[in-house]
Amino acid sequence: MTGTGTLLAFNLRRDRVALPLWIGGAGLLFLVQSTQSQNLYGTPEELAALRATLGGNTAVIAMSGPVELLDSIGGEIVFEIFAFAAIVVALMNMFLVGRHTRGDEETGRAELIRSARVGRRSPVYAALALAALADLAVGAGVFAVAAGTGLPVGGSLLVAAALAGVGLVFAALTAVAAQVFEHGRGVYGAVGLGIGAAYMLRAAGDAGNPALSWASPIGWGQRTFPYGQERWWPVLLLLGTALALTGIALLALDRRDFGAGLVRSRPGRPRASWALGSPAGLAWRLHRGAVIGWVIGVGMLGAAYGSLGDSIEQYIAENPEVAEFLPGGAADVVDSYLALTVTMGALLAAAFGVAAALRARAEETAGRAEPLLATAVSRTAWLGSHLGVALLGSALVLIAAGFGEGLAYGLTVGEPGQAIRMTGVALAYLPAVWAVVAVAALGLGWWARAAAVAGWVALGYCVVVELFADSFNLPEWAQQASPFVHAPEAPLESVTAAPLIALGVVAAALVAAGLAGFRRRDVGY
Amino acid sequence: MTAIAISGLTKTFGRTTALDGLDLTVQKGEVHGFLGPNGSGKTTTIRILLGLLRADAGQVRLLDGDPWADAVALHRRLAYVPGDVILWPGITGGDVIDLLGRLRGGLDRRRRDELLERFDLDPSKKARAYSKGNRQKVALVAALASDAELLLLDEPTSGLDPLMESEFQRCVRQVKQEGRTVLLSSHILAEVEALCDRVSIIRLGRTVESGTLSELRHLTRTSISVETSRPVTGLDGLPGVHDAVVEDHHARFDVDTQGLEPVMRQLATLGVRSITSTPPTLEEMFLRHYGEES
Repeated sequence: MTGTGTLLAFNLRRDRVALPLWIGGAGLLFLVQSTQSQNLYGTPEELAALRATLGGNTAVIAMSGPVELLDSIGGEIVFEIFAFAAIVVALMNMFLVGRHTRGDEETGRAELIRSARVGRRSPVYAALALAALADLAVGAGVFAVAAGTGLPVGGSLLVAAALAGVGLVFAALTAVAAQVFEHGRGVYGAVGLGIGAAYMLRAAGDAGNPALSWASPIGWGQRTFPYGQERWWPVLLLLGTALALTGIALLALDRRDFGAGLVRSRPGRPRASWALGSPAGLAWRLHRGAVIGWVIGVGMLGAAYGSLGDSIEQYIAENPEVAEFLPGGAADVVDSYLALTVTMGALLAAAFGVAAALRARAEETAGRAEPLLATAVSRTAWLGSHLGVALLGSALVLIAAGFGEGLAYGLTVGEPGQAIRMTGVALAYLPAVWAVVAVAALGLGWWARAAAVAGWVALGYCVVVELFADSFNLPEWAQQASPFVHAPEAPLESVTAAPLIALGVVAAALVAAGLAGFRRRDVGY
Repeated sequence: MTAIAISGLTKTFGRTTALDGLDLTVQKGEVHGFLGPNGSGKTTTIRILLGLLRADAGQVRLLDGDPWADAVALHRRLAYVPGDVILWPGITGGDVIDLLGRLRGGLDRRRRDELLERFDLDPSKKARAYSKGNRQKVALVAALASDAELLLLDEPTSGLDPLMESEFQRCVRQVKQEGRTVLLSSHILAEVEALCDRVSIIRLGRTVESGTLSELRHLTRTSISVETSRPVTGLDGLPGVHDAVVEDHHARFDVDTQGLEPVMRQLATLGVRSITSTPPTLEEMFLRHYGEES
């Protein structure tokens, strides 16, 4: 225990910026959900209608939580937001504990600390104490928001405790993983997988066999049923699990050497595979994980959107005010809905593309472009390899969005061919996606230091124009610079070649200009 | 035959002047030391030679080509070791060595494996697990396993232990025997003394000295410590003698190389019992260049 207090104070200081953002973010999620739900379903009739609509929709239950929560308006809020807030809080705990345990050990900072009058277990105690404080703050924030927006005090206290309890479990799980793996990447990978598994298990349990939900800490948290049956004992289950995991972490810590893990990191290839012999091969290797992650994530989001396609018509009939947000109004409701959601997928594909293109700049400033450009690799080939992955990867993400949406929609309406149709629909947005990525490419060539700003501002502008132009009353002319304004709103509008070709030419010109700029400038500055 | 010919090279970054009329000539087949304190412009010069930076003014020729315009063609013929080797955390050392070799146009597998052995480097570790010295070894093996005719080495041994440093020296001598050219930037003077045929010393972006080690030694003094049978006299009046400390039968002083002969004659008349002379080290040359001018 020696030195734990000093370390805790030091940890608090190190996290004084990031921690309030996480805690505020969790509170904000509840605030938005609480006000929005109470506006939409404030009366018992509205709530009953919602229960009738959602109660039979397996996809929504799998995404959100057990249907028992829908008995009260407070429960409805928990139903919609608890699983997502739990993921946010779990990630906060994972990064918090991971950074202060294995992260410090990996970089050698912990060596300096441990050489002082500090107990072996003290860094773990300090990291977990910090996590506990953070979870307490999250709970306090959620309680304040819930009670402050007019929900009953008892239930608000329970939902706050349940959320904090879920956070503690993942803090302790991270402490265990930090003993097992030698590198931060392994720790985050394992705990991230655990968070994903907890979400999926409760999804499978809530939609099917409830026993599966009891295998998930997120499921325990939801099954406290705040504002309904109000059970406190699952909170004790969460606390007990956190304590048990902490004990396991400490036992493992006592049995390993400093810097080592229980699992030795796997050696890689002593010789490069044939694929790693060109700039493109390396670029694919570097972006591979991100491409796969985005394809799966956006594909699943598309499937979630698609699974709602069938009930959307009924939903719109009951909520005419929502129809105002849809581009085609109440007519062609499903096609409008599909157009809007595919546009969201396209914006996400553009976000991936911008991030992937800007990776080139990160490689350059980190000094990893230099050894490659000192070989017989031309500048065009090097930057082109990253831009190529950005463009092709964003196409894959877009296809995943369309395919996932079409597949799920097709399954709910019994038309499997929708998967192919929606993939084609999504591809109509590809030239617009590429035009956004091309802005980042142009920045990389000509204003290297401002490339990130150029890319993200271009994307942010498109998001604002596409999603908020009407709410902000943006004039027509102010929207014209967004390539999405010029792309047909498929499947609502029919697709014509001319705007797609024009957008494609603009994208190609911007990329070519970016490459030309990169051939002229100093590298690394 | 020159491998590198630079004259009047200037490069500024915003308001800072990194290179201010630098000259550098490296003959083919020689090991050329490129010496200067940190921030004197060594790395900037090498980056211009690699075509990563564009020169503001001056002439730069590399292997009879223009390093900016002919970068790709020239890079097939050279290998580079950066001063600060930064690798991709999730990729193994073996991956990096093979990748760089292939991008350069192929590498000698047998030589690669032999070098891994000599530098005692495990190629199956991911780069995030390597220490600074091991990352340096990855870049060194990748460069030395190539048959490039010119090696550009930017402080290649910072981070290597003495054992590995001597292994490195053996490798460079081998490279020289094969008739290849090496530009070795360093601020480790012993390394340059051990390896280099000729040396250029730069400071504040400008070349302050260039020549063979023996040419440069004329600029400096030999330190002599002598014990004589008769009391020491007559040293003070001799040309080129500095900082003499005389105590009866014992004297310590520095002497310019040109002044050695009269000094030895004088000492001989005094009856030398024992004498030690220390050749000037590059450290002393540095001290004179950077100590006296600033």
